[in-house]
Amino acid sequence: MKRNLLYVLVLVTLLLSACGGGTAPTATSATEAPASGISDATLKIGWIGKPDTLNPAYAFLTESYTIFDLIYSTLVTESADGTYVGMLAKDWSVSEDGLTWTYHLKDGIQWHNGEPFTAGQLAWAINAIMKDPDGWAASANYTGGFKEVTAPDDKTLVIVTEYPIANMDYRTSFLYAVYPPDFETFTTSEDLQNFTNFNAIGTGPFKLNTFDKDTGVLLLGANPAYFDGAPKIGGVIFQTFDNTDAMIQALKVGDIDLVNEVPASAFETVKGFENVTASAIDGRYFNELIINSVDPNNDPAPTGNPALADPAVRLAIAHSINKQDIVEVVAQGLATPGDTIVPPTLGGGFWHSPNIKEIPFDTAEAGRVLEDAGYVLGSDGVRAKGDLRLEFRLQFPSDSAVYPRIADLMAGWFAQAGMKATPEAVDPDALVAATTPAGDYDLVLWGWGPDPDPDFILSVMTTDQFVDGGWSDSGYHNPEYDQLYLDQQQIVDKAERQKVVWKMQEMVFNDRPYIVMYYEKMLQAYRSDRFTGFIESPLGIESAQSLLSVTAVK
Amino acid sequence: MNRRDYLLRKFGLSMVTIFVVVIINFLLFRVLPGDPVRAVVGRNVRISAQTQQALREQFGLDKPVFPDQFFDTLGQWAQGNLGVSWSLRRPVSEVLMSKLWNTVLLIGLGQLLSIIFGVILGLLAGWKRKTAIDVGALTFSLIAWAIPTFWLGIILLAAGSTWFGLPTGGIVSPINVGKPLYTVIPDVARHLILPTFTLTILYLGEYMLIMRSSILEVLSEDYILTAKAKGMSHWQVLWKHALKNAMLPIVTLIALNLGFTVSGAIYIETVFSYDGLGKLFQTALTKQDYPLLQGAFLLLAVSVIIANMAADVLYAVLDPRVKES
Repeated sequence: MKRNLLYVLVLVTLLLSACGGGTAPTATSATEAPASGISDATLKIGWIGKPDTLNPAYAFLTESYTIFDLIYSTLVTESADGTYVGMLAKDWSVSEDGLTWTYHLKDGIQWHNGEPFTAGQLAWAINAIMKDPDGWAASANYTGGFKEVTAPDDKTLVIVTEYPIANMDYRTSFLYAVYPPDFETFTTSEDLQNFTNFNAIGTGPFKLNTFDKDTGVLLLGANPAYFDGAPKIGGVIFQTFDNTDAMIQALKVGDIDLVNEVPASAFETVKGFENVTASAIDGRYFNELIINSVDPNNDPAPTGNPALADPAVRLAIAHSINKQDIVEVVAQGLATPGDTIVPPTLGGGFWHSPNIKEIPFDTAEAGRVLEDAGYVLGSDGVRAKGDLRLEFRLQFPSDSAVYPRIADLMAGWFAQAGMKATPEAVDPDALVAATTPAGDYDLVLWGWGPDPDPDFILSVMTTDQFVDGGWSDSGYHNPEYDQLYLDQQQIVDKAERQKVVWKMQEMVFNDRPYIVMYYEKMLQAYRSDRFTGFIESPLGIESAQSLLSVTAVK
Repeated sequence: MNRRDYLLRKFGLSMVTIFVVVIINFLLFRVLPGDPVRAVVGRNVRISAQTQQALREQFGLDKPVFPDQFFDTLGQWAQGNLGVSWSLRRPVSEVLMSKLWNTVLLIGLGQLLSIIFGVILGLLAGWKRKTAIDVGALTFSLIAWAIPTFWLGIILLAAGSTWFGLPTGGIVSPINVGKPLYTVIPDVARHLILPTFTLTILYLGEYMLIMRSSILEVLSEDYILTAKAKGMSHWQVLWKHALKNAMLPIVTLIALNLGFTVSGAIYIETVFSYDGLGKLFQTALTKQDYPLLQGAFLLLAVSVIIANMAADVLYAVLDPRVKES
């Protein structure tokens, strides 16, 4: 009996010591950590998500572009105020006919491996995209209309286009100077896309030291030879978190120094953290109500309530949306009420039309508008004109936390005006299939993150985009708008183009295929006890320009 | 039937099962609504409709599901090639292997600890029935079993990182990323503490409850009474007669749980930003990445089948009656 008891005791002791063994290294490594050789001035950024690839040919996620911004350079780049400034280019000009662009490059540009950078290499990179647009899937849109790209000498690059290109600065700001030897060997589009470029070499302010393709961790070191002046911090680390609570906790305890996307629900908490500065910056994202505007003759025939084609019904809907309430209740004040599809942050406000007259929230007025148009209130509280009952599906992608609440609020306001909206969460993929190009919906809540140039978001409203794989979900079709869209693409004079862009926004606002509800703010936070000098702008405090000005707090 | 025949038959049946799983998986994912190309590129402003079509052709999605896509896939697999992930653009087998070891490390450790402590606790509770130990262990286990995974993880993460300076996520610190794991063992150990602890608590309750009821049942058997009557001590009775018999349901449970080990612990992996298979499955599903999904489910099917075979074999060892029948 004693022997058996002894066995148990030994077993328990072993187990306990095993547990002890597991925790023992903790203490050692915790004390060792600060002396591990990484400079104090390494900025640790926590984010949700990670780059899918570092190959600009096949990069679809925003995270990839955040990294490209830091390791690669482009001819010109968008600055914090929304204007374009030279990056590789010292200066640039366009010929009278708007077809020939000449860029003069800065001096002393070199690759991260020390080799000198030449205009010929950039010409090669742009030509590679033009020759294989399917392979360079993620870049091909930017070279559309390019005829010829040449480098007459090492410091000059010339782009000749087939027609005048209005947004050339924007386009060249996404044409990365990739290192030709890395990309020269691919013979098929598929080989090129399967190249993940995990040892990317660029000319940007930071060098890629490590990219762990599994965890998504990125270690970047400062490029001391950067042609516009080296960064003042030693490096940047990007660490991926799979959930926001853990990421916010990491910021609180100082595991990371910067969070580039603070969830709205945590923003007040983060603001209260010691030694943390949290800021809400006007961003580019907007959320809208999509009203089915598909041509009734479309194939397949749209299933939207035909009453939605009546301008009076659309006006009544506009009167029944309390944008201010949505901003305050759902977005917790971290947004601004919106009006047009071109947010005021594009081009520093240059493209946003100032001529919009907002439709005030007034459900009584909405009721009057409907009454005048012949929609009579039924005993069930829903207005109807003949067979046309004002009863709508109100769908939204099921992966959103805010849309269900907006839908509930909206259904309440609609009811006050005598309209019935039935909220319904739908799988995002199924919603894409239902909208484009089927038109199988009435009303949908959704959002967009427009590019810095208005061209893309304006294209979303063109008839051409209402095809399989296109971007139009409203089915808006207006030949005059379509023509204006083509016109603005070729107006190189900015002031002239602005007039057209304004007019297009006004058309969309008045015809209401979209009712833009609000523009989101970007919520970011950083440890102010460790770093200072961030530039707050729609580019984000993690942009190359911001990180070039950041210094460590001594 | 001798043991070799028995094993061969089991093996043959397993192969058939795997083949059926392969076919069902192939069809299942293709029934899902939505367009894989759209799912991979997202609501992306950079991709024209024309480029999407080029990708569709590259992935073979322009061809009919049957027979073209089906036999293409089958032919590839017959050559031992699981294909290239559409969203990650890396060979599926490479991606799966890189996550497999992380998951086995975390879940294996968590399962081991919860089995050890669960069995000990269950044994104690059953043996000391209706005492403070029993009530305490039972209450603890029921609570542990009922706690939502996500919630417990977050609470432990907040407490552990605030009071003990434990890491808030990952498998190693960013500076150690890319190095072989065995060279940075102390760092890995630090990162494993919280997720392992969470996992142990969550599974412990299940093992404890099964062990307790199993031991109670065994202790009421006649042969236990006989053993006691022969004058054996409590320890001897428990150790030599009760434990071995009471372990049978636990073996089943372990086999079931271990089989699903490779499906990862998606909640725990998410809370602790742990790079494992569970998260990979989720990503593959949201991106409708057919090659990755098919590979992942094949791995899952194979490991569940292997675990079940192992359980069968173990049963035969533990319980002579199984062998005879």
